[in-house]
Amino acid sequence: MSHTVLVCDDAIFMRTMISDILGQAGFEIVGEAETGSQAVEKYRELKPDLVTMDIVMPDMGGIDAVRAIVKHDPDAKILMCSAMGQQALVVEAIQAGAKDFVVKPFQPSRVLEAVQRVLG
Amino acid sequence: MDLSQYAELFLAESREHLSACNQLLLEWERTPTNPAPVGGLFRAVHTVKGMAATMGYARVTDLAHRTENLLDLLRRGARPATEELLQLLFRARDALEQAVELSAVGREDEIDVAATVADLDGAAAELGGGRAAAPATPAAAVEAPTLTAGRLVQVTLRAEAPIKGGRALLVLKKAQTLGSVHSVTPSQAAFETEDFDGRFSFRVEGSAATNEIERVVQSAGDVEHVSVGGEERRASAAGVPGATAPSSATEAKGRHIRVDLRRLDGLMDLIGELVTARGRLNEIAAQARDPAIDDIAIQISRLSTELQDEIIQARMTPVWQVFDRFPRLVRDLARELGKQVAFRVEGKEIELDRAILDELGDPLLHLLRNAVDHGIESPAERRRKGKSPEGEIVLTAVRERASVAISVTDDGGGIDRARILKIAKREGLVDPHAETLSDDQLLRVLARPGFSTAEAVTSVSGRGVGIDVVLTRIRSLGGSVDIRTEEGKRTTFVLRLPVTLAIVRALIAGVGRERYALPLTYVSETVELGVQPTTMVEGREAIVLGERVVPLVHLRRLLGVAGDPPARCPIIVLELGERRSGIVVDGMLGQQEIVVKGFDAPQGTLPVFSGATIMGDGLPALILDAGGLL
Repeated sequence: MSHTVLVCDDAIFMRTMISDILGQAGFEIVGEAETGSQAVEKYRELKPDLVTMDIVMPDMGGIDAVRAIVKHDPDAKILMCSAMGQQALVVEAIQAGAKDFVVKPFQPSRVLEAVQRVLG
Repeated sequence: MDLSQYAELFLAESREHLSACNQLLLEWERTPTNPAPVGGLFRAVHTVKGMAATMGYARVTDLAHRTENLLDLLRRGARPATEELLQLLFRARDALEQAVELSAVGREDEIDVAATVADLDGAAAELGGGRAAAPATPAAAVEAPTLTAGRLVQVTLRAEAPIKGGRALLVLKKAQTLGSVHSVTPSQAAFETEDFDGRFSFRVEGSAATNEIERVVQSAGDVEHVSVGGEERRASAAGVPGATAPSSATEAKGRHIRVDLRRLDGLMDLIGELVTARGRLNEIAAQARDPAIDDIAIQISRLSTELQDEIIQARMTPVWQVFDRFPRLVRDLARELGKQVAFRVEGKEIELDRAILDELGDPLLHLLRNAVDHGIESPAERRRKGKSPEGEIVLTAVRERASVAISVTDDGGGIDRARILKIAKREGLVDPHAETLSDDQLLRVLARPGFSTAEAVTSVSGRGVGIDVVLTRIRSLGGSVDIRTEEGKRTTFVLRLPVTLAIVRALIAGVGRERYALPLTYVSETVELGVQPTTMVEGREAIVLGERVVPLVHLRRLLGVAGDPPARCPIIVLELGERRSGIVVDGMLGQQEIVVKGFDAPQGTLPVFSGATIMGDGLPALILDAGGLL
């Protein structure tokens, strides 16, 4: 059975790209979220094996979403998607409970590596 | 714990950063309100600190930390440079350099930085930053490793890994699954900055085996290297689940690697032997007249030439690696001597064989000292002469055909020819009736061992160690020295050096039953004795070429070869600066590339040989030294 993924990003472009990378690698994209609060909501609803989470999103940011999801499910496997130069935010996200991170621009191989590490 | 294999790398990188610090401090001195140099200084010192902490050099780490602390305050406060600050930072940089050098050779005990540390802390306190807290390093752990619980884990992240701080935090989180983690260096706060370079260490308690700790650390991803306790393992790509695909890994890797110079020397030796074997193959091919052998001989020739070019290229090093320490040096000298000097470097990117470049530091230092001390006049004297009170010294590297010319020019008073002439006459170095000295004669007088024109022996130069040292060193590298001086205006010393030492093109000449090689660098032409009329000039046999008299040296007589020379002998005319000399040999045997090998001349050997080479037939030939024959 393939792993299920929830993709959270406010940009359609990024969601499409991540969905393509993971879809082609055999993952099942079960849902997408455009804001942090949507991400929390859909996580509860879909119980995905993996969440990819953008850091900067309107409404509720990615880091707050991580806190909310981890509070609900301490075993949630969340992969942060960050841009270069967001050191402090990445560190904060990991402290909040994110399991790994990838940096834009994405290289498919690195995204898949990170996903494999997260799913252990 | 064996970190010794990293000591050289630590030293090399630290030197680079400390050299950069000098440039940055000089830049800040020139533009005191420019904040950019301070940021650069902060990053350089910070990097040295990180490396020193990883190596376990507690004193370097401590000194770097306090320097960094002061720099950070200056950076944040956007403070302009002041004389006191600059002096302190120059001092701290020098102390750091000394500490780095001593640590790398295991003499950390000798480092004494107490005074510098106190001054750094004092300056930081004045800026309102308070005394630097002891670095959050495992300094304690380094000093007394046995007293600290847990095993020391040192991690280096891949150079291309993005957001290394985040990755480091993931490593720590993974490590926490094994047991309690503490003594994290640098502190976790550093992980949030862009300056974090991916090297960190921590201690982990618990009973996990070494390979278990390694596996867990590597599972965080992007780990280049991890060492636990005393054992070290390189992270093998295969050992990491979902390792980077090879294609993207090679793309992302840096395009430069560091190679031990000895390895390049070894390669060069091998190529030398290959060139020798190639010569032998060519001789056999010429005798065999077999098209198949010819083909392969030509192919081997081409390939070995390309290989040789590549390796020589790999040895090429830009001159800035040596030049970069001079701006600071000239500045310090000028201050000490009360001179005002603007120092300029041109042609920094020109490349030379590393082996030659390494030998150039001392001669250039000497020429620069001379230029500051004897060349540039005091500001008062310059004003009197109607010059700008600030003198100028220019260090230039220029690529010529097969050589590199490095010159040191000062716009000072020039060399007093009349005075040198008087001294030269007194010591019987020139014709007592001579009225002037040519530049070439001038150099010869200046290059007499122990010659010095300094009236007062300053602490800088004039100790009687003069141009002779420069000349000897440059000649031993197969180079030459020229001088041009205009009284009252300027003096220029030009050092010409071969681009590489190892393989040169040479004329092969026969004398008696021996063959000798003469590097083509100094051969200007060849003529024939018997065709060319000879004349006697000042008691020496000579020929006249164009307008110039060229004295002859009969190699046969010089070397004491018995028997009669052939009726017609070739004369090889050597040229070095303004000097020429015609070397009479028995015959010319052609041109070829020779591999220069140093040799230890037995006592009593004529000082006309600079080395030896092995010819195509496997027999040795001596290399004639143009400098010695002139």
